[in-house]
Amino acid sequence: MITFVNPNFAKELERFGEDTASECFNCGTCAAICPLIYEHFPRRMIRYIQLGAKDRILENAQELWRCLHCGLCTQTCPREADPGEVILSLKRFVVDTWRRS
Amino acid sequence: MYNPRDIIDLIADNVRKTRNPFGIPNFLCNRWWKNSAIPEKGEALLFTGLMYQFVPYIDQSTRYLEKFEDTPWADFVRYGKYVPNYLAGMGLDLLTPGKEKKRFNTILQNIAKILTKSNVDFYYQSELDSYSGILLYDLGDQEGFVRHAEFVAAKLKRAGVKSLITVDPHTTYALKVLYPKYTGQRFDVKTYFERVNLTSKNGGGRVTLHDPCFYGRYLELSDVPQKILRDLDIECVNVRNSGLFTHCCGGPAESISPKLSKEVLHRRVEELQSTGVPIVAMCPICLGNLEKSGAQVEDLSSLIARCAA
Repeated sequence: MITFVNPNFAKELERFGEDTASECFNCGTCAAICPLIYEHFPRRMIRYIQLGAKDRILENAQELWRCLHCGLCTQTCPREADPGEVILSLKRFVVDTWRRS
Repeated sequence: MYNPRDIIDLIADNVRKTRNPFGIPNFLCNRWWKNSAIPEKGEALLFTGLMYQFVPYIDQSTRYLEKFEDTPWADFVRYGKYVPNYLAGMGLDLLTPGKEKKRFNTILQNIAKILTKSNVDFYYQSELDSYSGILLYDLGDQEGFVRHAEFVAAKLKRAGVKSLITVDPHTTYALKVLYPKYTGQRFDVKTYFERVNLTSKNGGGRVTLHDPCFYGRYLELSDVPQKILRDLDIECVNVRNSGLFTHCCGGPAESISPKLSKEVLHRRVEELQSTGVPIVAMCPICLGNLEKSGAQVEDLSSLIARCAA
């Protein structure tokens, strides 16, 4: 499936919170430790931010609310990329997009 | 799974119009202090954030959500916002068993008792006790959270409140970390167990503590309840995932997906039960959720009150 890439997406996301997604090197620790044990969550979402795949995030937005905000991913991230807060920022971004639509 | 947008809109509308996520008038759900002799003036305000009071309502509404999750009826949640908030809230109040409300009120009464026994100079005023808005924050409704937090913080400042004693991890995190960050208002926030100072030889048992994510990880307070129980002659049998690496009970997913919440819950309960001793919770959401598994769970305050008596 073709997805448009928005190179300014990470910048756009800054006003919703943590700006640490670029620190992630996709090791997958967060996905391994996450209690959801579900389709590479939250790693996949963070990869989408890095790629600027804004549409993919909006298409899969519901997944974000499976996050328990328990913070285990942030506690164990070797890059201190704060995946838990990045997911929370994405929730804020999606809520804002819904409300504007 | 429910559509998060429907749930967020419903909760945000309730908080905006009634200052309560369920639309229940606060005076109806906050009655634990009636007939108690807690002073109305003192050094620190006991601030419950209404979370323990909400658990019977959460249990009741989750029962309905569980029934209709992933059925065509689930879409009807979006029409909830067209029902007048207080009407829906009063309906939920009528459906919620009084016995459960009483049980959770007893926990708050126990907290007041152990604070008094520890000679803590505290007071309570129900009109100053408010919901912190934490669910809006967790769900990503930042605008709604900040608006509500500003209202609560301004009310406390107007009343001259400087010190707060909190009773649950979510309200503690909101008041201690989020309010200064997003409202610019600071309070001296301590949990009730940080103020408790009791010793006894009446304990003698063994328990397993379930550290809530916000006490264990976000606020790094796990050592405090362990020390209190040691002073009461109670031995803590730790599980592997505790303290900084504690495991979620699944409670936060209740409003969006009861099914997912149960999956996470069963995994955690299995680990907690592996010690073979009673489980102790210190968060109302965890307590309500862990009890759903049928496991024997007691709130930390009830255990302290029992052993320090």
